[in-house]
Parts: sequence; C-alpha cells; structure tokens
Amino acid sequence: MILEILEAIIFPGALYTIGMGFLFDWLDRKTSARMQGRIGPMIAGPYGTLQPLADFLKLLFKEEIIPSHADKLVFLFAPALFFMAPILSMLFIPIIGPTSIAGFQFDILAILFLLGFSAFVVSILSFSSASSFTTVATGRLVLQYVSYEIPLVLSIIAAALCSRSLSVEGVVGAQTRIWNVFFAPIAFCVFIVAMMAELEKAPFDIPSAKTEIVGGWLTEFSGRALAFLKLTKEVSYVFGCALAVSLFLGGPLGPILNFGVPVSILYFIYFTVKILGVGFVIFVLKTSLTRIKIGQATQLFWKILTPLSLCQILLILILIQGGLIVAT
Amino acid sequence: MSTDVDKRREESAGLMEYSAENLVPFGPIHPSLKEPEYFKIILEGERIVDVIPRIGYVHRGLEKAAEMRPWVQNMYMFERTCGICSFVHSLCYGQAVEGLTIFQVPKRAEYIRLIICEMERIHSHLLWVGLMGHWAGFDTLFMWVWQDREVVLDLVEAISGNRVHKSMNAFCGVRRDMPEGMEKHIVERMKFMTDRARYYREIIDTEETMLERTQKVGAHVTQDTVEKLCAVGPMARYVGLRQDVRLNNPYAAYGEVPFEIVTRNEGDVQALLRLRLDEIIASANMISYAVENLPDGPIKVKIPPVIPAGEHSSRCEAPRGEIFYYVKSTGGRTPDRVKSRQPTLANLPLALEILKGQTLADVPVVLTAIDPCFGCMDRMSFLDTEKNKQWTWSGEQLRQYGINYYFPDRKDKA
Repeated sequence: MILEILEAIIFPGALYTIGMGFLFDWLDRKTSARMQGRIGPMIAGPYGTLQPLADFLKLLFKEEIIPSHADKLVFLFAPALFFMAPILSMLFIPIIGPTSIAGFQFDILAILFLLGFSAFVVSILSFSSASSFTTVATGRLVLQYVSYEIPLVLSIIAAALCSRSLSVEGVVGAQTRIWNVFFAPIAFCVFIVAMMAELEKAPFDIPSAKTEIVGGWLTEFSGRALAFLKLTKEVSYVFGCALAVSLFLGGPLGPILNFGVPVSILYFIYFTVKILGVGFVIFVLKTSLTRIKIGQATQLFWKILTPLSLCQILLILILIQGGLIVAT
Repeated sequence: MSTDVDKRREESAGLMEYSAENLVPFGPIHPSLKEPEYFKIILEGERIVDVIPRIGYVHRGLEKAAEMRPWVQNMYMFERTCGICSFVHSLCYGQAVEGLTIFQVPKRAEYIRLIICEMERIHSHLLWVGLMGHWAGFDTLFMWVWQDREVVLDLVEAISGNRVHKSMNAFCGVRRDMPEGMEKHIVERMKFMTDRARYYREIIDTEETMLERTQKVGAHVTQDTVEKLCAVGPMARYVGLRQDVRLNNPYAAYGEVPFEIVTRNEGDVQALLRLRLDEIIASANMISYAVENLPDGPIKVKIPPVIPAGEHSSRCEAPRGEIFYYVKSTGGRTPDRVKSRQPTLANLPLALEILKGQTLADVPVVLTAIDPCFGCMDRMSFLDTEKNKQWTWSGEQLRQYGINYYFPDRKDKA
C-alpha cells in the first residue's frame, strides 16, 4: 500500500510527470530557438536546462492580483482542478512495466472524461476572470474543444479497436508483436493533430493567441496561479505524448536485452525516448506553422479529420473481419 | 458628471447602440501594437461590425517645434519622425527647403540619396514581412527575416556610420561620401538580398497555413474604395493603381535609374506580402545599378543659413507610401511654418474599411498590413464634450494658439 502511494507521488507518478513537464518546456524552447536561428535559454543550469524551473519558482513569489469583477471562488480554485487533471490521467499510463499505477478495466473512458473535464475547467476559469479578452478566449476555447473532441475520440476508438480493449494496459499489452501505428497510421496522425489542438500549440494556439487577445484565457492570472497554469500546460503536453505512445507506439514495450539491467529500467528508457520523440515532432510542427483562424480550425476538424478517422475505423473493422488483426 | 461626459462621448462616436460586451478594446497598450493607439472594436461573436479609432497618443508637436529651430537643425529633427523610414523624412524636408534656394544638388549626392533611400525601403519592407509573420502567429518567419535585415543595416552603417537615424542628408548634398571600394561588396549583398526575397516569396506562396491567414483577407475592397479613401504607397499599388512618386514625380536620381513599378491586382493581404517582397527585389536592382554608375564630383554645395522667403512643397515615396512636406519661409533663420503628412494617416481609413466584416483574428494582420507607424502620424482634433460640438481651426488660429501656449506674454505678435 505504502509502496503504491510512493509510486503514485514520486516515481513514476506525479513527480516524474512534473519533471518531464519542465524538460519538455526546455526542449520546446530550445528546438524552436534552434530552428529560428537563436540559441534559446542558456543561463540557468547546463545549457539552460533549469530555466523552466527557474521561471516557475520566480512566478511563485510574484504578487497575485485578483480582478475586482472576477468570481473569486472559481478564480482561486479552478487552477488547482486544472492542475489535477493531467497528473491524475498520467496514473493510467504504464511507464515502468506493462501495468499502470491506477489502471482498471475501462480507464480509457476515464481518460476521455478527464480530457473533457480539463477543457471544462479551463473554460470556467477563463470565464470567471470576466475581462473582454478572456470572454473572447472562452468562446474560442469551447468552439475549439467541440471541434477537436470528435476526431480525438474517434482516433482513440480506432486504437482500442485494434487491441480489442478499453483499458490502456490492454491496448499496450496487445502491442507486444506489432504496434498499432502500423494498423492505424491515419488515426495516429489525426490523434497528433487533435492533441496539438488540445494542447493549444500552433497552428491551434487560437484561444491563447497573444497578438489578438493578449494572453487569451491566461490574461488575468498572475503569481502562483499563473505558475501552476503554465506548468499544467507542460504536464498536459507530457500526458498527450504519453497517451499517443501508449495507444499507438507500444507504450514502454521494446526489445528486452540481457545486460543485467532490470527490465523496468529498460521499459522506462524506451517510454521516455518515445514520448520525447513524439514531443519533438510536435515542437517541429509548431515552429513551422502559422496560427489559423478558429473557423478554419473547425472546418479542418469536422470536414477533413472526422471523415478520415471514420474511414480508419472502417478499415480496421475490415482488417478484423479478414483476420489480419488478431487480438492477443 | 464623468459618466455624463462619457455618455455624450459615446453618443458622438455612434457607440450607444452597442452594449459593452460587444466591445473589445484594442490598445492603447496591446502586445500587437508597438506604439500606443486605441481602436474600439465592435464585435458580433467573432465578426467585426465597426472599428472606431482614437489617435493622438504620441503627438509630439514636431511641426511647432520646427518653427523654433534653425533650418539645419530641423532636418535632423524631422529625421526623428520615424525610426524606420528616417532618411526619407529628412530628404523630403531638405528638398522642400532646397526648392527655396538657387543651389543645385550635385549628381553624386543625388545618387547617394537614392542608394540610402532604397536601402531604407528594403529594411523597412523586411521588417514589415517579419512583423506580418509574427502577428499572424508565424514567429519563425519573423526570426529569419529579421536576421536577413541585419545585412542591409550593416551596409547602411558602413555608408553612413549609423543604423537607424542615418543623419546623412544635408541641404544641397549629403554629409558623407560613399566609402572606397564598397561597390563590389554592395552588389554582392544585393544579390544575396534578391535571393532571400525570392525564397520568402516561395514560402509565402506555398505555406498553407500562412496562405489561409492572408488570402482573401480584405478582398472586398475595390479600386474605387482605395481611390476614394486616398490610400498611398503599397496600399494603393496592391489593387493595381500605378501610384508611386518615384515614377509619377521623380526626385533625387530616380529619373535616371531604371525603375520598374510593382503592382498587383488581388487586393488582399497576400498581395501586399508579394508586392513588398517584389519591391525589395526592385530596390536591390536599383541599388546595384546606382552603385555601378555612381557619377564623380562633389557631394555637397555649401548654402547660407538664411533661406530666402517663399513657400515650397515636396513629395517623396517613403516605404509606407507618399510623404509630403510643405515649408514656408519669411527669410529668417527659422521656418515660418512646416507641415508634414505621413502615409499612415492616409492609409488608416482604408485599414478600418478592410476590417469591417472580418473576424477578430484578422485585426492584427490587417492593421499590420498598412505598415502602421502611429508615432509618425498622430494629429490633434478638437472635440468639446461639454458643449457636444466639434470644430476645426485654420492654420492662423492654430498658430496663434501655439504662440499663446508657449509665450503667454507675447500676445501682440500674432
């Protein structure tokens, strides 16, 4: 029992997730800087690796300002709720072995619920700050959520169909021989695009477009709340990549080598390398694309990605009927 | 009391029919505005119904200040009108003053003026392309373009000794000669600039997300609207009007250097991007030609500090469009009156017209599209909210007001 609690809090639970969040933030900044001909953070720590942590700590000590019109209860508590969602979702992802910390039979549904929950929390916390920028941001946020939700869920269903399981452990376990990405490449691409919209990365950084609506839904936040909201965005990034890896790239599974190294460490290394790889793809895409308008994003998701993911599901059903996909 | 005034102010601006929820303030301090300016944006959902500007946050009183300074000092003060197209302001003012004298500008000086002007155009256009990327949410373009802009800035520094305010111009000439042996280097760098401009043309023409943001934005504006709203510079050329002071009324050495006017017909923001990048190529060609055919001779004629009485005006094509200077002298050591008009003021009505019917996401893109320089254009208008009345002053009244303001005890010298 105590071991499980320690696992959930320290490794591979919350602490690992937060640490990866900081690492992702650093990698994100470094990659886009190198692509743009800059050098990126260099001061804090070797090659600036501690810069995200330094920013976080600095924000913790800043004054917190609550707008006079804001709904104070929601304004103060929603950031905590928002922070909880990706941390909790990470407990369903197997990291150091084929089993996760809190996994159960239908935990994919729980993950879907938590994804919707975090979008809901963001919209109410954005609305609670009651400024015109956040009001516009809320509208965009909800519209964007409605747009990407359908293809996201459909692509998750495609992965679940391939493995004939509704739990992340089951999906990972079914990929011992061949990864789902080879059966469902379209669903994988759709998932990455929808995930970018969920994480508000360019070209879908519409609800937080800084040149249009200042800071988007983050405009009125400061101090501690801002520190945690920013951290949550990074942690969601880690979770998004972890979900992509678990559903399509075999999770922590990989060739077992006999070095005398414990298997769980190998699994952990495979998993970390995989999520960094997926994260890197998103960094590169994000740096090389222009922000699109909300109407164009909705059209993209509803007119192109939704039919594509439906086609993928149909394809998988045909493969299953033909006996090419065999549930293990 | 104050609410009463506010109410009347809103009534006079036609704002009463909209509720406060529909109003998104854009500025005066906003991340996408590098200078303070205020736009009231009336929204219906994401769609813009109306935009009401309020200008005047950076009014600096340059015209009045010019009346109190010697002729030569004014040249370097007007250079400070703008931090991007600085040389062309001093050139335009200088030409207006030169028109009052009997002296001729040496040929070599005119060529050097052209070279600096065109380098300024390249750097201004590159700056604009970068900002366009930034405001559309494409920071990579911004970083790349601004890196290439350094090439031109270095050349300007090598020629004039300064990067931003060149302080190159003088009455009837320029202050510094071209450095020895620079010709080959400049031509080489201009070739590099042409290559880069072609490369960015390719990016802009093929990058899907960039195309989606810029194509068809503001395409509802016709040639007639542009003519009616008196837009100048690239904002007139992008709907196909052949309007360019360099072509219509050549100054400096523009009459002698081969010049090809760039126009486009699409009339959207995409056309502006292509047009400005094409103009960079045209400018690079002009610089190469001018450097290779630079005439020998003096670079400056000395003129007395007192300018003969009379009035004269001058027009120049700044990177943003036509600028206009009017100078009046009574034969003294200071000008009697200087009037300047900057292109942003001329282009702002068109930008507001383009915005109507677009979405909020287009605001930064369209406002950037006119290449705004609010610091250059700010003016005063009179609006008495107590009596709810609006009026204008004649130049004489305005002058009297200025004299009374600065010298309250000198009322007799009207």
